[in-house]
Amino acid sequence: MRDSTVWRFLAGRGAQYLLVLALTVALNFVLPRMMPGSPLVFLAGEDVGFLDAEQRAQLYALYGLDQPQWKQFLTYVGNLARGELGYSFQRGRPIAEIIGERLPWTMLLVGLSLVVATLLGTALGAMAAWRRGSALDLGTLGVAMFFESVPSFWLGMIFIAVFAAGLGWLPIFGAVTAGQTFAGWALLVDRARHLVLPLATLTLITTPGTLLITRYSMLSVLGEQYIATARAKGVHEQAVLRRHAMRNAFLPVATVFMLNLGFVASGATVVETVFSYPGVGRLLYEAVLNRDYPVLQGTFLIITVSVIAANIASDLLYPLIDPRVRRR
Amino acid sequence: MGPAPVPFTPRRHGLGAAGWAGVLLLGVLASAAVLAPLVSPHNPEEIVADPFLTPGRAHLLGTNDIGQDILSELIYGARISLTIGFVAAALAIGIGTTVGIVAGFFGGWAEAVLMRTVDLVLVIPFLPLMILLAAYLGPSYWNIIIVIGVLVWARPARVIRSQVLLVKSLDYVEAARALGGRPVRVMVRHVLPAVLPIALAQFILAASNAILIEASLAFLGLGDPTAKSWGMVLYYAQVRNAFLSGAWVWWVLPPGLLITAATLGFAFTGFALEERLNPRMRGGRGC
Repeated sequence: MRDSTVWRFLAGRGAQYLLVLALTVALNFVLPRMMPGSPLVFLAGEDVGFLDAEQRAQLYALYGLDQPQWKQFLTYVGNLARGELGYSFQRGRPIAEIIGERLPWTMLLVGLSLVVATLLGTALGAMAAWRRGSALDLGTLGVAMFFESVPSFWLGMIFIAVFAAGLGWLPIFGAVTAGQTFAGWALLVDRARHLVLPLATLTLITTPGTLLITRYSMLSVLGEQYIATARAKGVHEQAVLRRHAMRNAFLPVATVFMLNLGFVASGATVVETVFSYPGVGRLLYEAVLNRDYPVLQGTFLIITVSVIAANIASDLLYPLIDPRVRRR
Repeated sequence: MGPAPVPFTPRRHGLGAAGWAGVLLLGVLASAAVLAPLVSPHNPEEIVADPFLTPGRAHLLGTNDIGQDILSELIYGARISLTIGFVAAALAIGIGTTVGIVAGFFGGWAEAVLMRTVDLVLVIPFLPLMILLAAYLGPSYWNIIIVIGVLVWARPARVIRSQVLLVKSLDYVEAARALGGRPVRVMVRHVLPAVLPIALAQFILAASNAILIEASLAFLGLGDPTAKSWGMVLYYAQVRNAFLSGAWVWWVLPPGLLITAATLGFAFTGFALEERLNPRMRGGRGC
């Protein structure tokens, strides 16, 4: 890791992430101001229509709308840097507080789903490649393609219709049973029961991506000379698979894992909405529904920052799993 | 684990079974869209019966919350969903091909700037960004197409650029440049034709993507209420809690299956084309 190439690579990536962040902030700043009509509506939400002239003037001053654009921008960035995401007039609460409440639920759902989807996708993908052309391979491919093409919200609706509303095995919506106080084991069971369907939906739509890449990567590795060499040496098939093929085949999977983060964030938005799961994605939907623009912006910013953070984490971890990046 | 797999390369004739299955799926759906006035039993916008009817002879898939025939809605919905998929994909591929060709052909700083932009777009969580844009721009047919188009171009651009790099080193392109052909002329006359097949495969994959994205946006309430796509039908079904009653079997299941069929149809066709046209590049979905 001390090598200068690694650092140059990381610096390049860092610059790129900074640019994404800057663009996100700029977009959040420009969009409400370029809309037709009063920018106040798009900054504070449609509820400003109920305010009188004096309150509007106060808000105008609060957002600095009477000042030149560049000064407004500096104030905006300064506030963000201090962690101030603004205020939701509809909810009567600071946005950072609202998002802070929602974030743990999304992290639970997305984190678990990423782990399960990665394990499932790599295992099934490697297996399919190992038995290339067999019924098992084709069957796996078919199922993967199907779940890759299914609208996630629809899958969720079907799950609710069958397992929750129909069979009554699992709760229909939310993350906790409303109006009930559980403790200890019962609390855990309640949370888990609410998590099953959203987790299953998100995992089923995320797994095919990993699976298809693992399979493809595994197939190209299996054609390499060193696999033939290992076999010729008389290395046991299991060892060829585990020690020689899988190790290298998993490298592209790490890259896909990163690309998947944006996809999972998107998937989580839709899945949380279907199940009324109280995460950040659901918050984004509620903000759209209520035309609560400040919350909409804050949520978008937080989602982008999370995706960037996850990307940075995998960038830092990548040299640890691929020694070639270190040496080159 | 069983015996060692024998490495083999299957010989491909035409598109392969999956490819033809995709073409067939698309053919059926596109015919339904084109022939909608002929095959649709009712006018989808007309209130033809009582609301919430269960399927019967007059209404094969029952009626919705305001008494419109669901089957007719779905047949006409094919027009909206497929058109959005097609036009958004065309826009995305237009941008992607231009960026890919310019980056690959000119190299240098133009390439650096364009390809860094591609990387950048790929990092942004696309659906939240689309939601943000759609929420500000307002729910309209064209806004949805534009939003999808300007966000899906990045992956095709990357694939097309690598193809341009291959083509650029071929003798006939080098000859054209050595003869003093103006760059724009060489690009349009010699590089573009060589890239078009790949662009076609990417177009089909992008269309598959676009249909799925449109459905998600519609479901989140950002669809055009005057142009009812399959996603919009599902949005209304969700709003009316159709999935909590038995109505999900005829109101929720069919539109979702149609979206899946269209997406799969495009994906199968696209993958088959891509594999046939360029065995070295079997890219992932741009989603």
